[in-house]
Amino acid sequence: MMNNRILIPILSLILFLASCRKDFQEINTNPNASVAATPEALLTPALYSVVNSNLNRAMRLNNVLMQDHVPLSNNNDIGRYLIRPSESDYMWNNWYLQLNNFRDMYVKAGVVNDTTLMGVALICDVWLSSQITDMFGDVPYFEAAKGREGIYEPAFDRQQDIYADLFAKLETANRFLALNKTLSSEKKAADPLYQGDPALWRKFGNSLYLRLLLRVSGKSELNVAAEIRRIAETEAADYPVMTSDAESAVLRFSTTPPYISEFYNYRDYDFNGAVSLSEFFVNNLNYWKDPRISAWATEASLGVYMGVPSGYAEGQVPEQMSTYLAALKNEPRMGNIMNYAELQFILAEASLRGMISAAAQGFYEEGVAHAITFWGKTMPENYLASDGIAWNEGATAEQKMELIHLQKYYALFFTDFQQWSEYRRTGHPRLPQGAGVQNNGQMPSRFKYPVYVQSVNSAHYNAAVSNMGGDDINVKVWWNKP
Amino acid sequence: MLGIGLLCSASWLQAQDLTEKISLKADGRTSLAELLRRIDEQTRYSFSFLKEDFSTIKAATFECREEKLESVLQALQKQYRFEYSVSGNLILFRMAAPQTRKPAPAGYLYGRVTDEKSGESLIGAVVQIDKQSVQTDMDGNFAISLPEGTYTAVLRNMGYAESKIQQVSISGGDSTRMNVTLSRSANDLDEVVVTALGIKREEKALGYSVTQLNNEDVTDAMSNNWTNTMEGRVAGLNMLKSNGGPAGSNAIILRGENSLSGNSQALIVVDGVVISGSSGQLSGNGSGAYLDGDSPIDFGTSLNDINPDDIETVSVLKGPGASALYGARGANGAIVITTKSGKKQKGLGVTFNSNTTFESIIRWPDFQYEYGQGVDGSDTWYSYGQTIDGASTRSTSSAWGPKFEGQSYFQYNPLTRTGDTVRTPWVPYKNNRKDFFQTARTFTNTLTLEGGSDKTTARLSYTNLNNRWIVPNTGYARNTVALALDQHVTSRLKISTHINYTNKSSDNLPTTGYNNQSIMYFIRGLVPNANLEWFKDYWVPGQEQILQTRPFSSLLDNPYLIAYEMLNKVNRNNVIGNITASYQFTKELSLMARTTLDWASEARSQQRPFSSQKFAAGMYRTQNIFTQELNYDFLLNYRKVFRKDFALNASFGGSRMHNRYISDEMRADRLLYPGVYNFANSKDLVVALPYRSQYAVNSLYGTLSLSFKDYLFLDITGRNDWTSTLATPESYGHSSFFYPSVNLSAIVSDMLPLPQWVSYWKLRGSWAQVGSGGTTPYLTAYAYSPTAFPSGLANPQAIANSDLRPLITTSYEAGTDLRLFHNRIGVDVALYLNNTRNQIISVPVDRAAGYNATILNAGLVRNKGLEIEAYLKPVVSRKRDGFNWRTFGTYSVNQNRVVTLAEGVSNYIMSSGPAGRGTIEARPGGTMGDLYGIGYQRSPDGKIVYDESGYPLWTDSSIYIGNTTPKWRASWGNELTCKNFRFSFLFDGQFGGIGYSLTHSVLAEEGKLTKTLPGRYNGITGEGVIRNDDGSYRVNDVIATDIQAYYKAHFDRTNIESNTFSTDYIKLREARIDYTVKSSRLKAMGLKNLVVGIYGRDLLMFTDWPAYDPQFGTLGDGQIYKGFEIGQFPSTRSYGFNLKVEF
Repeated sequence: MMNNRILIPILSLILFLASCRKDFQEINTNPNASVAATPEALLTPALYSVVNSNLNRAMRLNNVLMQDHVPLSNNNDIGRYLIRPSESDYMWNNWYLQLNNFRDMYVKAGVVNDTTLMGVALICDVWLSSQITDMFGDVPYFEAAKGREGIYEPAFDRQQDIYADLFAKLETANRFLALNKTLSSEKKAADPLYQGDPALWRKFGNSLYLRLLLRVSGKSELNVAAEIRRIAETEAADYPVMTSDAESAVLRFSTTPPYISEFYNYRDYDFNGAVSLSEFFVNNLNYWKDPRISAWATEASLGVYMGVPSGYAEGQVPEQMSTYLAALKNEPRMGNIMNYAELQFILAEASLRGMISAAAQGFYEEGVAHAITFWGKTMPENYLASDGIAWNEGATAEQKMELIHLQKYYALFFTDFQQWSEYRRTGHPRLPQGAGVQNNGQMPSRFKYPVYVQSVNSAHYNAAVSNMGGDDINVKVWWNKP
Repeated sequence: MLGIGLLCSASWLQAQDLTEKISLKADGRTSLAELLRRIDEQTRYSFSFLKEDFSTIKAATFECREEKLESVLQALQKQYRFEYSVSGNLILFRMAAPQTRKPAPAGYLYGRVTDEKSGESLIGAVVQIDKQSVQTDMDGNFAISLPEGTYTAVLRNMGYAESKIQQVSISGGDSTRMNVTLSRSANDLDEVVVTALGIKREEKALGYSVTQLNNEDVTDAMSNNWTNTMEGRVAGLNMLKSNGGPAGSNAIILRGENSLSGNSQALIVVDGVVISGSSGQLSGNGSGAYLDGDSPIDFGTSLNDINPDDIETVSVLKGPGASALYGARGANGAIVITTKSGKKQKGLGVTFNSNTTFESIIRWPDFQYEYGQGVDGSDTWYSYGQTIDGASTRSTSSAWGPKFEGQSYFQYNPLTRTGDTVRTPWVPYKNNRKDFFQTARTFTNTLTLEGGSDKTTARLSYTNLNNRWIVPNTGYARNTVALALDQHVTSRLKISTHINYTNKSSDNLPTTGYNNQSIMYFIRGLVPNANLEWFKDYWVPGQEQILQTRPFSSLLDNPYLIAYEMLNKVNRNNVIGNITASYQFTKELSLMARTTLDWASEARSQQRPFSSQKFAAGMYRTQNIFTQELNYDFLLNYRKVFRKDFALNASFGGSRMHNRYISDEMRADRLLYPGVYNFANSKDLVVALPYRSQYAVNSLYGTLSLSFKDYLFLDITGRNDWTSTLATPESYGHSSFFYPSVNLSAIVSDMLPLPQWVSYWKLRGSWAQVGSGGTTPYLTAYAYSPTAFPSGLANPQAIANSDLRPLITTSYEAGTDLRLFHNRIGVDVALYLNNTRNQIISVPVDRAAGYNATILNAGLVRNKGLEIEAYLKPVVSRKRDGFNWRTFGTYSVNQNRVVTLAEGVSNYIMSSGPAGRGTIEARPGGTMGDLYGIGYQRSPDGKIVYDESGYPLWTDSSIYIGNTTPKWRASWGNELTCKNFRFSFLFDGQFGGIGYSLTHSVLAEEGKLTKTLPGRYNGITGEGVIRNDDGSYRVNDVIATDIQAYYKAHFDRTNIESNTFSTDYIKLREARIDYTVKSSRLKAMGLKNLVVGIYGRDLLMFTDWPAYDPQFGTLGDGQIYKGFEIGQFPSTRSYGFNLKVEF
């Protein structure tokens, strides 16, 4: 029959079309991405991302606020202590994306019970979380990075609670890493910092512990002095710390992509063309005849290094003098996370403030020496005795603080926002102020929350702002409050 | 027009073998007429009899099973006294003897309807006579039984002029033969347009607005990208142009943007092949337009590559009402292109068509050549390198230096390639920018062969295009072969195929955007005192392939090095084709089955020499891109005319579409040996960046079209899609969804008695929904992203959503088409409202959640607008060769509103400007092209606020700057013909939009525009106010002394407001004069047709835009972005010569 001639092929076509979505599940499975990730797979990309975005922001923000360099664009007001709200997004956004990877790494390492990787993940978490809270104050922490569980609007936590938990995590990491579980060679290769050596990670973790304890040492709540003494002296054997430049936590860049620095692909002009090093930065080094200057700066004219004033008055753009050496674009040491010299300066301050018993001078001089050797330079003879460097036991505590922190400032060259955090905490090193400085000459105490957070996480944002006493660059974070 | 052959007294033929098998069961209650009708249904024959005669006879019980038609008829003949005769597919019945009740004796009218030109039979033509209407069968035959008398017959067929035949006399008991030829409709009233799925419909039956362009519209003034020719001809069409070089791509947007995720482009269909999702897709090289690692290159799309000579019609289906049948991807409207088929003709038809086009730059920014190179403060000397005159001022790209006053300085010496030892005259080189460019030329030659018989028609065309562009050493070549074959295998089965093969290749396409290696970066960086000649020898002698000549700023790569050494090559093969079989079961029922393919394979490479700014050690990259979209579909069609004025057309179809995309990129970003471009020469490990994606859609759809008296039309469509993009690896998710549409059209002028001067009046309305699962796969499952690091993975930045639903666009449209005074005036108006909701977007979340965004269904975007297309024929000559003048215009206005976004999301950034300066955002209550960015601080009365040093102040945060989508567009065209001459021209314009110009900003920042001349070296007091300490304002009374800082404070690229300008323009888009040689002369030359023409495109431009062209888009990573002009190329006017010969 004619009807069947028509109907049969059509019905079979319909059945075919309706049924052949069987392959849809396969078709819509992403061949460009992986459904699963091993814990160590998450480490390298996240570390590079954080260190490189920190370099980017150090260049734009920290190094301008802290007078490492001066932008030669009249419209750049950061050196005048004016910070547009839009400056906040970059760090907030990049940091939290990577926090997600570090926390995910911890969970995944836990599944296979790899205590070394768990310890590594915890240290990375603490390192990154401390940067977030140091910049903004109260921030999402306990509920952060849980978007996959449906928490799109994480609650903000008090900085005090965050720090307490950071210390708890470092304790845990120290215990995990003490188990000294060695990694397979494959996993070692996935760790660009210490090649999977649990002992070195443990030293970094405990050194970081001291950095963070000192950061909150102005507060009585967390019994910081006793903790520093416990780690640095009484239970030092259980808390090994860095003992040499080589043990510093440095993400050493190479010139082989992708293991390259943020600045590797910059045009020279974009890296150093529109900035000049500051007078403050250059003059100290000139005065000390510091060998590091040749690793950092170009000559303004033959054999002469010169800086320009920071915070110049509007419209009075200075002419370019010394600027960053273009070689810094792919300098491995620019990947500094925390170096041995910084640890020495931490201990020096702890000693100065009576938290530990060993003498401050020894730590100070060890720090000064290694801040130079870290950069591959030899400390000049009599350097430690020279004017502006020599330790004078008879000086006031304030003078000693300045001495330590001036040196520490150079040891923290291009190390995320550490220079700025230390300045906020201590007021050292004493920075000159240019005529164009605004904000009542007051160094910004924090960054505002990104504007978009007000709309996408409004209830928690409002709660945090009222807890902190405002969302302003002059509101002090908890550890900075008197 | 109309050919009638009335042949009387056709002889009755003896019954021939009627072998078809019939099954029938009659219970004695039906009439003989009904019995015959039921037999008719089972055969391929058309029965014809006089209803009055046969319906009065009650049929007795009758049964047969699978018996031959002949024996059935003979059996019936024994019971009833009728006669029948067979003629072709026609069986005519008449009563053998008069019945008791004496009716008028019946007569018969039969015949064949054919096309006047080709002689082809017309299937389904309607013959209406005396309240009866019948359709012609597969061979064009018809027959009607009629009482004796004289009648008027009306013949209608889609696309043909209606014809009335008066005085058809039928004599009782006799048969009358009437052969009719119909001619293609000459007026616009019965225009046939191609609608969704390639179904041809009469324009008057449509409930939505369709604009159809024909071949002349797209070939009259040839453009390298034929889509340019749609501008000004289609109301509601917005073209976003990349301006990205000779292969420049366009994005076509109909009736405003609706997609928050960025792709609001119309669907492009060529001969049933959807190409916009595959080879018609623009694919980028991962680079942005502004100072990115590399720069974007416009490799073009297969849409550009369609040869306009092969295009028969372009149907623009503007709204979802029109394109609902295309399903998911039809929500943004569709451009349906039909290519030419062969024509039946005697002998071989040969056509040769040749176009030669030249292009030159139409417009330049207002460059100043009064002051030379230097920064502020170096206006008293110039020195190339440190000399006794002072410090070197050679490396800046700014022009704040000394005035050209006939003095001499130490300058660059092109022979020594360093500073000269003697002072040379300080002069401007006023053509140094212009001289870099050359006149572009394009040769397009097409040879077409066509011919055909009753059974077969074929058309073969070959086109060669050769282009040399305005940037030296750029251009491309294109070869296209198009084949169309139609074969009637039997009277029921037709097989046809259309295949287009294109090869496009280029040895160098220009790099676009603003970046060291782009030409326009150099052009803005060039200082007035630099001679272009100094750059021509682009290698330093003795250091060929190692060190480039770069006399001034080291940021500027030598433009000749860019043109001759930084090559972007492409070779692309593309096949777009379909194979269609259609089978006519009965005259009512037909089936079409088709498979279509869009396949492209493209090899690209980029090479950069040593010493280039971005790649000091050279670079070599390749991309191999494979795209394929395969589609199978079928369409079952049933059409039936009921005798009492009703016609029905029902279609049911289904399709399976499968789209694949593969891109494999290899990168060697440093080379070992200069000048050798292959991967063996890579210094580092070659980086591979593979990407694959695919998606599939299965669909079933149906339409029901009803018409009443040929003046009232109702269409109902429904479609169900199953989309793979909504399935998850675990389940089907919401991958199945249904959406309907209803369209209504009424020809008021046929329904109501209207005054004579109303020639035609149509009202139409449509309601339609279109659902879509989007074309982005892999949004439904969580997966870790690869990173640049070996064995390195990262959490994704957006959270997948396994509960994703389809987005729905709902559209309402109403319109009218009114033509007056014998069609001398015509106006078509369309009003529409489109709501797009549940869009699949990446909704930004607080990054503290660990992610940038989560994939959600959210948002409601509304577009409403008005489109008018009108024409007027002020002069219509009665003489054949007289003077005729036709003028036409379009006007369209669209209002876009972002009604809601996702909860808690107050703004959604759709794109951002150079390095994040300025954003185009969707905000609830705003519109989709809203531009936000830093602007001036202003006093309460709107004046610019200056600081105490006299420099303007900026806002701290983004402010609303304006909307980048023009509010309305209009065009005006004219066509004048007289004797053998034809003259036409077309203007179009857009109004009410703004755009940001980086070109303006950088030129102003560097003192290269005449607007930066005031105040040089005396200082300037800007117009505005200064804020006093007490909060009041005073008129600015401070002289800003640093002139460079002053203009930079105004026009720095960060100041979005000061660099934003109106994009209004009026362009003389096209003009053409052609001459057709008279046929009497042609015969002597042995030709059929000869046309010569000269034409021009974009001949005039009226605009206040400060850079090159206010109509711009910016290419970045595979998309054309609007609103931000970033290093645009100069735009060109073109003029050319056209020759068309038919042998």
